[in-house]
Amino acid sequence: MALLKREEWQGFVRDVDWSYSYVDDEAVFPEWHAGTGKVPREAWRTWEESYKVSYPEYVATQREKETAVYAVKAALQRSTAFETLNEGWKSATKMHFGGIALVEYAAVLGELKMARFGLNASWRNMATFGQLDELRHNAVTTLFGHELITKDPQYDWTQKAFHTNDWVTISLRNLFDNMMITSNVVDIALMLPLTFETGFTNLQFIGLAADALESGDVNFANMISSIQTDEARHSQQGGPTLEILVEHDPVRAQWVVDKAFWGSARAFAALTGPAMDYYTPLEHRKQSYREFMEEWIIDQFVHTIEGYGLKKPWYWDEFMRGLDIWHHGLHMGLWYWRPTLWWRPTAAVSKDERAWLAEKYPNWEKVYGDKWDVIIDNVNANNMEATLPETLPWLCATCHLPCCNASQSRGGAWRVRDCKLEYDNRTYHFCTNACRQIFWKDRDNVNHETLVDRFLAGQIQPMDVGGILGYMGMTPDVMGDDPDYEAWTKDYAGRPASGLANAGQS
Amino acid sequence: MTAGQGADLGAEDRAPELIPLNAIFATDFVQILVPVTTANTIAEVAEAVAHHVEGKRVRALPYPKMVIHNGRRLEPEITVAAAGIRPLDHVAVEYDIPSEGS
Repeated sequence: MALLKREEWQGFVRDVDWSYSYVDDEAVFPEWHAGTGKVPREAWRTWEESYKVSYPEYVATQREKETAVYAVKAALQRSTAFETLNEGWKSATKMHFGGIALVEYAAVLGELKMARFGLNASWRNMATFGQLDELRHNAVTTLFGHELITKDPQYDWTQKAFHTNDWVTISLRNLFDNMMITSNVVDIALMLPLTFETGFTNLQFIGLAADALESGDVNFANMISSIQTDEARHSQQGGPTLEILVEHDPVRAQWVVDKAFWGSARAFAALTGPAMDYYTPLEHRKQSYREFMEEWIIDQFVHTIEGYGLKKPWYWDEFMRGLDIWHHGLHMGLWYWRPTLWWRPTAAVSKDERAWLAEKYPNWEKVYGDKWDVIIDNVNANNMEATLPETLPWLCATCHLPCCNASQSRGGAWRVRDCKLEYDNRTYHFCTNACRQIFWKDRDNVNHETLVDRFLAGQIQPMDVGGILGYMGMTPDVMGDDPDYEAWTKDYAGRPASGLANAGQS
Repeated sequence: MTAGQGADLGAEDRAPELIPLNAIFATDFVQILVPVTTANTIAEVAEAVAHHVEGKRVRALPYPKMVIHNGRRLEPEITVAAAGIRPLDHVAVEYDIPSEGS
C-alpha cells in the first residue's frame, strides 16, 4: 500500500479534538486553567500555527541538533579556550547559566499546561513539541554549565541559583512563575511564546551567540545557537492565540501583552544591560544596550503588536526614558551588593569606558559619574569597607529589583523619587509607576515576598549581612567580587579626594 | 506594667518600637532599608541614613542634613514618634545647602 502524502495525513494528526460523552467541556477545560474568558469556545476552532511539524519530523530534526551540539562540545573538551576568556564575558555566562537553566524547566511546565489545556488540538500538539524543546534547553544549559564547575565553582550556580533565595533569583522566579506557571494558558501563550520568546529571547539569543564568538567562547555560541533554533518554532503559539483574543477581548489582550513586555524589559535591564554595557570588554562592544533594544526589541515588538491591532503600552514614555537609566542604576546596584552575586561584576568605569558610556548615554556622567567617582576614590584610598553594603537596597514590590531609577525634575535635578501605594493597611514601594500600576491591577494575585519583606518579617536570621548572605545560599567560595579593581581605578590614582567615609581618609 | 496601662500611654512614652524606613540620601542612586526606632530624633534618622551612603557613594558635604517626610521638612530635635513617621514610610535626607547670598 502506498504511503499517504504529508498533506493528506497532517490535518488528522494535528487536530484530534473529539466530542465528550461522560463529561462536559468545563470539566476538561476548567476556566482557571484554560482561560477562555470572553472568547466563545467555538472561536478557538480557527487556531492555526503557520509552521506545521509532525512528530517523526520533530524527532529527526532534534536528533540532528543534539548530535551537532555534542560533537562541537566533545571537540572543544580538551582545548584551553576557556582559560583565555575574559572575566567580563565569563560573568555574563555565569549570570546566563544561573538565571536561565531552571527557567527553561519552568517553561517545560508552562508548555505542558498549554499541551493539556490549550483550547485547540493543534495548539496542544504544538505545545507538546514546545515542552520537549524546553526540557532539552534545561538539560543542555545545565550540562554546559556543569562542565565548568571544575574550572570555577561559581558555575555551580547554574543549577543552584533557582534553589536559593538569592534576590536575583527571587526577582526572576516572581516574573517567570507569573508568566509560565500560575496563569491560564491563553495568558501564558501571550506572555511566554509571544512576548518573551518572540519579543526578547529569540533575538537576544542570536546576539548572544555573536557576542560569544566575538569573545572566543565557541562552546557557548554552539549551545545558545542550538537552543535558539527551537525557539523560532514553538514561539509561534503566541500569534494565533493573540489573533483570536484580540477579536473577542482586545482589552485583556492589550493588558496581558503590556504586562509581560514590562516584566521582561525589567529583567533584561538587570541582566542583559550590565552584560552589554559593562561586562563586555570595550573593544568587543558592537552596540550599546539602548541601541540593541531599539534595533532588535522595540521596533520588532511595536511592529508585531500593531500588526495584531494592539497599541503601544500605556507606559511607553516611561519605558523609553528608562533605556537611559534602568540598567545603569541596576549595574551600580549589582556591583555595590556584589557579595550577593554568583558572578564577578566588573565596575568597568575607566576613563575610556566612561567616555564610551557618555557618548552612548549623554546624561550618564551627570546621573552616575559622581557616585562612581566616590567609589573610585574609596578604592584608591584602600577604603574598601566603604564600598561594601551594610543594609539592603529597597526592592520593588512588583519586579523585586532595587528601586534605583532616577528621574529628572523640571529644574534639571536627577533624583530617585518615591513611588508608593497604600493598600490593605500597609505601604508598598515601587521602582516605577508602571510597576505600581501592575501591582494594583494584579493585587489579588499571590505575589512573592521581596527580600526586604522577608527580612522585616524575621525570616532571615541573624538580621545582619552574614544572615542575609546565608539566607541567599551564598558561600565564601562563590561570593561575587570585582575581578580587577585596578583596571578601572588606576586612571584616577593620585588625584585629590575629599568627602570620603571615615574621617582622615581624604 | 499591664497591657491595659501600656495602651493608655502616648507613643512617646512607650518602649521604643522598630520603624523600618525606605530611605534615599541626597543624590544617591537607590532607596535603601534603614531601621530606626520611635525614640530616635530626626537628626539621628538623618545620620542613620547617611551612614550607608555619605562618603561611600555620595561625597560628604560640610552642611547640616535635613529629613523630608511626606513633602514636609522635619525639625531635627523631634522624635520619629512625634513626627508621625510610620513603619515602611519613605524619607529623603538632603543637605541643607544655604542658597547663594543668604
